[in-house]
This record gives sequence, structure tokens and C-alpha cells, in this order.
Amino acid sequence: MNVHLYQIIIVGISSVMMYLGIKEFAKREAGQTVLKLIVRLMVWGGMSLFAVYPDFTLVLAKVIGVVDNFNAVVMMGFLMVFLLIFKLLSAIEKIEQNISEITRKEALNEAHDRIEALRLELKDRNQGTEGREG
Amino acid sequence: MIIAIVIPVFNEAVVIGQVIKNVRAHGYDTIIVVDDGSSDDSFITAAAHDVLAIRLRVNRGKGAAVKTGIMAANLLDADVVVTFDGDGQHDPADIEPLIRPILEDNIDVVLGSRLLNREEMPFIKMIANSIGNFITWLFYGLLVSDSQSGLRAYSRFAALIIDTKADKYEYDSKVIREIKNNRLNFSEVPVHTLYTEHSSNKPHKQGFTNGIITLGRMVWNLIA
Repeated sequence: MNVHLYQIIIVGISSVMMYLGIKEFAKREAGQTVLKLIVRLMVWGGMSLFAVYPDFTLVLAKVIGVVDNFNAVVMMGFLMVFLLIFKLLSAIEKIEQNISEITRKEALNEAHDRIEALRLELKDRNQGTEGREG
Repeated sequence: MIIAIVIPVFNEAVVIGQVIKNVRAHGYDTIIVVDDGSSDDSFITAAAHDVLAIRLRVNRGKGAAVKTGIMAANLLDADVVVTFDGDGQHDPADIEPLIRPILEDNIDVVLGSRLLNREEMPFIKMIANSIGNFITWLFYGLLVSDSQSGLRAYSRFAALIIDTKADKYEYDSKVIREIKNNRLNFSEVPVHTLYTEHSSNKPHKQGFTNGIITLGRMVWNLIA
């Protein structure tokens, strides 16, 4: 069996993505669920499957009713575009989360003195109430 | 006992003053208003009503505003945190039954459910909410009667432990996920919805388009 470069690249990238998914799930990081892990394994595992067994696309083609086989170059192009979009969207989402975090910290810092004053006021009020009840 | 009411607002200057007055009239005076980068006078109006007003300089979404408010409530050492929409669609009279399970039964999270008061909800909204509940169950494995309600109460433990990076409307569903992942006790109580002209007509509500966007975000979060 001849092994092509694109197969190694796709299997390599898919393996890294699946490893990261399993690692994040195992470490129980925020946002990691069983369903997310399954979907991730299906998407990236599916890519590896098509890369390692290109003939599988013939089976798929028959099942979905497409007559022609996928051209390897076109498939590679689609995969690359998919990967690029995937990484770009992931990066944008990460940036969005960072903006939210910075905005939140800035807002809480700005309100810090008022929060602290209110906290002390509420504490005094609570102690007064408990004292009267005691 | 500190009960903090967190009110996220985005361009609600017209109604936020009255919302604050109504909440205060029901005996809750620890009110945190988080302005989510409004372009109107929401922040100034809220601050003028003697509440803890916090301003996010950039609009980050309802989830980001609620999370900021809950963090502020945690800094105040609040025993119970209630999230309450700023557009006037929630009834402050529902706060008391909402927090009671936390105070009396050691429940961690209480979800206000509009669908337990079905007669008040327009049919189309009922269908949309049922779809939202189904999708939330499909993605996060916990079936609740109103996964999109903004009227919720959290114990101090729950307010500290619940953590999600969701900024937009999917925050409400992500809280359901957090309840399941952290094995928190929860209950649901029926709440009223006041379908005012203002809340029905505002452009940034969780309508059909935003619902589709929220669904897209939830799907994306599954594969990314």
C-alpha cells in the first residue's frame, strides 16, 4: 500500500485534534462534554478514515447517490479550506472570549471601590441584624 | 442574609428606572445593574437610582453581563444571587418563591419557568421554547421546562462554581450544562412574564434569528 504525503498530514492533524479533545475531556476543562468529545472524534476521525481509506469515498458516493469519485486534489482543497476556517473561527472565538474577560475585569476594577464600600455596609448591616436577634 | 439581584441591561434606559423601583418595592435593595455597553443612558439612569451600577465598555452579550453581575455579587459575599431581566418582563413578586427553595431546602439553583405558566405565553413562544429545551437536553443532557429563562436564583456555592465562557444568549443553556456537570441540586418554579410593548419590540431580544445564531454557536462549541 502506497502512503501519500497528504494522508500523513491529515492523519497527523486529526490525531493532534483528537488527542487535544480527549485531553481536555479527561482534564474536565470548562465546556467539555461527552457529546462534544463524540462529535469531535467523529469529525476528525472521519477525516482520518477518508485519508487512510480513500476508497471509502466510493462507498459513501454510492450511499449518498453521487456517481463520481472525489478527486484527490479537490478533496485536499476542501480539507485545507475546512481546516483554515476551523482554525480561524477558533482563533476568533478565543479573541472574543479574551475581549469579554478584559472588558469584565476593567468594569469590575472601575467599580472596585463602590463594591468594597457596599460589601462593608452590607456586612455592618448583617452584624447589626444578628446582634439584635441575639 | 444578602440577596443580590443582578440585572443585565442593554439599551433599557426607558424602563430600567421603573424596574429598579419595582424590585426595591418588593424589599430587595442589593441591586447590581450591569450595563452591557449600551448606547443610551441606561448606565446613568441606573446609577441615579442608588444601585451598584457596573458598565461594560463594549457590548459583549447578555451572558457576559450576567456573569459580570454574578462575580460582583460574589465579591459582596452574597448568600443568594438572583438574575432578573432589565426589560421589565419579569415580575419582582416571583423573586420570593424563586429564592425560597435555596433558603429552606438547600437547593443550589432555582430556574424560573415561564412554561409552567403556559396560559400566559404566546403559542409561538411556547413552541420556540420547547425547541430550545429539546436542543439543550440533546447537547447538555438535562431536560428542563424553560432552558432560556433569565429569571434564576443561585446559592452562594452555585454562584461561585458555575463557570462558562458563553457571552451571548447561549449562556442560559450553558448554565444548564454546568448544573449537570457539577451535579448541582436544582428545582423549577413557575414565573410570570409581562409581555410589555417595550420587551416585545426590542430588536436585540432572543427572537427567531438570535435563536438560530444561538443554535449555531452551540453546535460550533461542540466541534471546536
